[in-house]
Amino acid sequence: MSELRVACPDTLDHESGRTLWENVYQRDVSRNTTLVVDFSATERMDSLGGAWLVKIAEHVGKRKAVLKLVGQSGQVAELLDMVEPALQPASSRSKARAGFLETLGERTLSVLEESRDFAELCVDAVYWTIIAPLEGRGFRWNILIDEIHEMGVRAIKIVCLMNFLLGLIIAMLMAKQSEAYGISIFVADIVMIGFARELAAIMTAVVVSARTGAAIAAEIATMKVQEEIDALRGMGLNVNQFLVAPKLLALLLVLPCLVALGIVSGVAGGALWGIAVLGFQPSIWFTQTLNSAYTEDLVQGFLKTIIFALGIVLIGCHNGFRVSGGSRGVGLMTTRAVVMDIFMLITCDIVFAAVFYYILG
Amino acid sequence: MSKPLIEVHNLVTHYGETLILDRVSCAVHPGEIFVIIGGSGCGKTTLLRHMCGLLQATSGSIVYKDRDLTLLDEDELATLQRTIGIAFQSSGLFNSMTVGDNVALPIREYGNVDERLIDSIVRMKLSFVGLGDSGHLMPSELSGGMRKRAGLARAIALDPPLVYFDEPSAGLDPIMAAGLDELILDMRDLLGLTFVIVTHELDSIRKVADRIMMLDRGQAIFTGTVTEAENSDVPRVRQLFERRPDEFIAQRNF
Repeated sequence: MSELRVACPDTLDHESGRTLWENVYQRDVSRNTTLVVDFSATERMDSLGGAWLVKIAEHVGKRKAVLKLVGQSGQVAELLDMVEPALQPASSRSKARAGFLETLGERTLSVLEESRDFAELCVDAVYWTIIAPLEGRGFRWNILIDEIHEMGVRAIKIVCLMNFLLGLIIAMLMAKQSEAYGISIFVADIVMIGFARELAAIMTAVVVSARTGAAIAAEIATMKVQEEIDALRGMGLNVNQFLVAPKLLALLLVLPCLVALGIVSGVAGGALWGIAVLGFQPSIWFTQTLNSAYTEDLVQGFLKTIIFALGIVLIGCHNGFRVSGGSRGVGLMTTRAVVMDIFMLITCDIVFAAVFYYILG
Repeated sequence: MSKPLIEVHNLVTHYGETLILDRVSCAVHPGEIFVIIGGSGCGKTTLLRHMCGLLQATSGSIVYKDRDLTLLDEDELATLQRTIGIAFQSSGLFNSMTVGDNVALPIREYGNVDERLIDSIVRMKLSFVGLGDSGHLMPSELSGGMRKRAGLARAIALDPPLVYFDEPSAGLDPIMAAGLDELILDMRDLLGLTFVIVTHELDSIRKVADRIMMLDRGQAIFTGTVTEAENSDVPRVRQLFERRPDEFIAQRNF
């Protein structure tokens, strides 16, 4: 058992603290050494000096030596008492690294758990939206009007603009290709069929998921973080009835309308190119367009919107409810909701395309 | 008497049309624990926010280190704000960082200290407030009282001469609140800090306050020591210290 003695200078501040630490660092501190820091000459110390002392204690602790402070008096002694807890060796909380199987199991379980939560939410939301009002268990109709205004009316401009521009782009590209064969008039058919089957539904759903899906996730996540969700539960109100059902019904009603507007705007965009640039008579172009508008195309285009509306609202709510932590969690969950929305849109679209054109068609 | 550390002269502020503070003046001296008291909604927190330049006043001046905070541009204000530690009512910790990183943030940004030392400073500041082993936790994993203390640790990270503490004991159990009072006294005595505290906990006022200012409906109706306050003739002050309720709560709604 050896003993090392260092004297602390009369003022322990940033500079002298560093000198003291360097002094200790160079000494041979090892197991069974007791490092004695003598404070009998010290009259003043500040918190940076204290921090160097903490650093010394850390060094000593790593070498499994013992630190002893002697000779302190007056104000320095009281300040040292305050620093004291930081001088104790940090309780070791070495986390065991999870192995491959453990990670795999954890991932699988978390995916399963999330799927179960999502399934529960879906069933509950559909019940409170469709079945419960019929059973006379109440529906917040006034909120529904607000939601329709927010999700639908206020989205009209952006949805129309996006579809119009997309229609214009499609017509531009197709006109170039068909020109060589002299079949420019069929651009009208392409735009009509394209928008009825695919483009209006997808484009509108993408715009809506960025607007409404993100808003739903952020709203619910913030409510959860600020304990508003707990407050609702505490009042005995059903969260799915109160929050999810009005949103779900609103989007189910609004999305087909927006898609209808999307089809009209897309066709208008195509027509602008066809009439203004390709030089067709408006009547010829519109007759061609109307002749290629098939009921089956429109039906499957609108059928999709039901699935899309369900997906956007439920994914938004699901991610909102899963939030943990504060402001950062809200941001993460909102991002996650939009990413999942877009993934869902494309995946559902593939299924629709496969079913309608290859299996049924 | 020594020169005041921070002085407020005839501060008038509005939120929109509503008058919040009406010609409030006060002076805080170095090494003092200055407590601002008053009923809910009387403008305590607003005053504190003005005293660190977070809000723009309608008229009046706030003099700190010979500079008027109401006249400074953004950069000068930021420089002065670094010498004021603020512990917010709901802690104001950044949710995305661990408690330790929260405390380390101002030190990394402005501390001018040896990079190797930052961990030790953080550990020490957290030990001051009794959270020595919690540096690796996220703020969401802490209880309300722990967050409040972590907020204080961050406020004193740069060793500011002046510390503002908004509602230190709100929502804490009496033992923890008493511990926090001790801590404030210790920090004042040992580190030479000056505190401006907003609170309405009578016990803690009696324990820590050197001087008290009471606000009522935006006006400073009393300034003085605790003893003076307890023997004051001002009815609202007596009422607060005797914990008598208003006849009708509704009367106080303005």
